[in-house]
Amino acid sequence: MAEHTQKGPLLQFAPMQSLVDEGFWHRLSSLKLNKLGIDDSPIPINGFYAPCSHSQISNHLTLLAESLPSESNESLLAPDTSRGNRNKCSVPGILYNTNTVESFHALDKQNLLKAEASKIWEDIQTGNAVEDPAILSRFLLISFADLKKWTFHYWFAFPALMLDPPVTVNYLKPASQWLSKEEVESLSAACNEWRNSRLTADVPFFFITIDANSCATIKHLKDWETCQSDAYKTLFGFYDPCHLPNNPGWPLRNFLTLLSAKWNLKRVQFLCYRENRGFADMDLSLVGEALITDSQGEGDGVPNVVGWELNKGRKIPRRISLSQSLDPTRLAISAADLNLKLMRWRALPSLNLSTLSSVKCLLVGAGTLGCQVARMLMAWGVRKITLLDNGRVAMSNPLRQSLYTLDDSLNGGEFKATAAVRSLQKIFPAVEAEGVVMAIPMPGHPVPSQEEESVLDDCRRLSDLIDAHDAVFLLTDTRESRWLPSLLCANTNKITITAALGFDSFLVMRHGAGPFSQASNLSTETVTSVCDDMHKLNVNDATGKERLGCYFCSDVVAPTDSTSNRTLDQQCTVTRPGLAPIASSLAVELLVGILHHPQGIYAEGEINLSVSDTTEQPLGILPHQIRGSLSQFSQMTLIGHSSSSCTACCQTVVSEYRNKGMEFILQAINHPTFLEDLTGLTELMKSASSFSMDWDEDVDDEDDDDCVEI
Amino acid sequence: MSLFKSSEEKQDAGSLISKEERNMLENEEPFDCASLGPESDYQEINHYDFHVVYSASYKVPVLYFRAYHCDGQPLLLSEIEKGLPGLSVKLLSESKWTFITQEEHPYLNRPWYKLHPCGTCEWMKLLFSTHKSLTTNGSTIEHYLISWFSVVGQVFGLKIPLEMLNCS
Repeated sequence: MAEHTQKGPLLQFAPMQSLVDEGFWHRLSSLKLNKLGIDDSPIPINGFYAPCSHSQISNHLTLLAESLPSESNESLLAPDTSRGNRNKCSVPGILYNTNTVESFHALDKQNLLKAEASKIWEDIQTGNAVEDPAILSRFLLISFADLKKWTFHYWFAFPALMLDPPVTVNYLKPASQWLSKEEVESLSAACNEWRNSRLTADVPFFFITIDANSCATIKHLKDWETCQSDAYKTLFGFYDPCHLPNNPGWPLRNFLTLLSAKWNLKRVQFLCYRENRGFADMDLSLVGEALITDSQGEGDGVPNVVGWELNKGRKIPRRISLSQSLDPTRLAISAADLNLKLMRWRALPSLNLSTLSSVKCLLVGAGTLGCQVARMLMAWGVRKITLLDNGRVAMSNPLRQSLYTLDDSLNGGEFKATAAVRSLQKIFPAVEAEGVVMAIPMPGHPVPSQEEESVLDDCRRLSDLIDAHDAVFLLTDTRESRWLPSLLCANTNKITITAALGFDSFLVMRHGAGPFSQASNLSTETVTSVCDDMHKLNVNDATGKERLGCYFCSDVVAPTDSTSNRTLDQQCTVTRPGLAPIASSLAVELLVGILHHPQGIYAEGEINLSVSDTTEQPLGILPHQIRGSLSQFSQMTLIGHSSSSCTACCQTVVSEYRNKGMEFILQAINHPTFLEDLTGLTELMKSASSFSMDWDEDVDDEDDDDCVEI
Repeated sequence: MSLFKSSEEKQDAGSLISKEERNMLENEEPFDCASLGPESDYQEINHYDFHVVYSASYKVPVLYFRAYHCDGQPLLLSEIEKGLPGLSVKLLSESKWTFITQEEHPYLNRPWYKLHPCGTCEWMKLLFSTHKSLTTNGSTIEHYLISWFSVVGQVFGLKIPLEMLNCS
C-alpha cells in the first residue's frame, strides 16, 4: 500500500530501570522464614515510580518493603496499597521466588513474560487499562533468596507489547518548543495541579486538551471516548521516568499499543511528562508524534513481547550480597567495632583496637573469675579467648559464674570449659573461643606412677597452650594450681595476670618479665648481650632493671597441698560475691594497660599517688599489684620485686626447668620440699628459725613493698 | 542523591557470574529494534539517601545516611568514604565533631549510618554565639536547620544554595 506520509525514524524507547530497596529483601526474607517456608507460588507485589525529576538521571521502578504483602495478611493477597502518593505511582507486578538457585535458572522466562504480556493485552481489550492505566506498566520479577549467605539473585522484566511494524516518530522535541508560551504556562499549571491532588497524583497516564485560548486541561483516559475532542491540540501524556532528550521512556510502548488497539489511533501526539524539583518542567518534558502502522486490533492474539532488564548491558540476572546488613552476626560485629571506635574517638585516641582484637588470651580457670574476665575481655574487643578448666558446672555456680545458666548444671553438669565457650558465642557469635578440659598438675599433690604419663601429657599440653597465647590469666581457686602456669609463663616471658580472692579481699597483679627475657622486645633501652650475661641476670631482666615479682615471689614457703588438711569452711572457697567481678574487671583493665604501655611486660610498676598528674599514659598508671578490701571499700597499689628464691620464677628454678624439663616438674609435684631445697628457701627458713623472730604470717614483707592507701 | 560511577570499577563483578547464569535468553527473545541500546543509556550510579531525624535523647537533628549501587548492593563505609570529595575525607578524619556510627534507623528499622550527634549541641552553640542578630531577630528556629546542615553537609560535600540562606 502506498505510504501517504514519509516515514520517520524508528521511535526508540529507553528501557525501564529497576531499583530494589534493601528493605524489600529484608521483608521477603522475613516472609520466607516466617510464613512461606518452601511455598514458591507467585506473590503479587507493587512497584513504584514517578516522573523523571532530574535532567541527568532517569527515575526507576522501585521496590520497597511495602511492595510485598505484610506477614499479617492472611492469604497473601495483593499488598496494601495506599494511593495518592505523588512520588509513588503504584504499578502491579508479580514475583516468582524460587527455593534453589537451580530452579531460579531453570524458570521458563519467556513463558512467564508471555503470561504477563497476555494480562496486559487482556486489560487493553477489556478496557481495564483505560480505567486504571497504571496496569499498563505491569512487571515481572524472578528471584532466588539465599537465606544462609544472604545473597539475592534477581531479574526484572518490563513487558512491552511489540508493535509490528515498529512505531516511527515524526518529531520529538522539548515541550517548550512545541507549545506557545501561554500554552506552556497553562499546561504547567494544569500538570502541577494534577500532581498535587491526591486523586490524580499517582495516575500516570492521561490526556491533555488545549483549546484555542491556550488553556490546557488534563483528563482521565476513561473520559476520552465521551469527550471526542474538537480541541485545538490533543496530547496523550504519561509520567516519563526517563531523562534523555531524544528518547521517550518505556511506559509509552504499551500506551501506544493501547491507543492503537483500543481506539485505532494511528497518529498519536504524546507528552513525556518530566519534572524538576517537584514542578512540571516543559524543557525537560518532550512532545512527539508517533506513527503507528501496526495492524493488530481487537480479537487478535497477544503480540510479541520483550522486556528483560539488562544487567550491565547483558541479558543476565543480577546478584547482590546483603550479608553486611542482614546477617545478625555481621551486624553484631560492626556494632561492637563501632562502639569501641566511638570510645577511641571520644575519650581515648590512642586506643589500639587492632592489638586488642588480635591478642590471644588464655584463661586458666573458668569459675567466678574466669567467667567475668572472659566477658570483660569481649567488651574490650578481645576476640580470641581460651578457657581451661576441668570442672563441671554445679548448681550453685550460675549465680556467681556469669557464663552459666541452670541448664548447664543439670544432669551432672556440663564441663565448664565447653559451657563457657557456648555462652560466649551466644553473646557474641564472632568470638573465637575455645574450651580445654584439663586439670593442672600441682605441687604437693603427688601422682601415682600409673598416672605419671598422663600428668606429663597435661604438663606438655599446658606448655603448648601457653606458648600459643599472648596473655595468660591465672584465675584458679588454689595457690598451688598457679605454680606450674607461673613457671611456664616466666620461662616464655608471657604477660601473666593473677587474680586471687580471699573472703573479702582480693589481689590482682601482673607478673614481671621472666628471668631470661630477650632483649629484642625493647626499643628504648640499650641492652647487654643476653646470652653471654645470663648468669648476671639474677633479679634483673634484660633492661637491667629489677624485675617485678610474680605471685610466688613474696612467698617463703613453696606451694603445697592447701586443700587436704583444711577445715570444711576453709575448703569451700567462699567469698563475698562482689569481689569476683571487681577483681576480674581490674585484671582485664590491667591487661589493657599493659598492651598499651610502650614497655609492655617490662613496664615499671606505678603506684597511685594523690597528685593526679603523675600519669603519662592515657589509660592512667600501670600498677604492679592491686590489693583491695571490701570491708574497707579500699584499694592499694603496691610494687613487689622479684625474689631470687622464688619457687616459680627465679632464675634457678627456670633454668632447672629448661635443663630437665618434665622430669623437673614431676619432682616438684611429687616431693614436698623439692622446690624449697632448690631455691634455698629451706636454708633461709633454717637460718630464720634459728633467731627468735616474730614470723609474721602475713606475706606482705614491708621491706620490699611500697604501698599507699587510696 | 545519585553519583555516577566509572564503569571500570564494577567490571570484576561480571567475571563472577557463572556459566549457569549465562541465560539462553539471547536466543529466545525476539529482536527488538525499538529498544534503546545499552551503550547510550547505561548509567552505573551510586545512590545516596540522607535523612534528617530528630534525636529525642540528644535533642538535636541527626543526619542518617546510606549508599547503594544501582543494583541494590549496599556500599560499605569505606566505599562511601572513597566517593567523598577530598576535603570531606580530611574533615572526617580530623574533626572532633564528626564521627560515623551504624545504627538502626528509628523508623525504617534497617541499619543506616549516622553522624554521631554528641557534638552537635556544642558546635551549634558556637555557631549561634557569633550571630547575635539571629537570636535577637527571633528567627533562630528557621535558621537552625540550615545552619546545622551547612556544617554536616560539608562532610559529604553537600552545599546549601545561597538562596536558601537569604529567604526568611
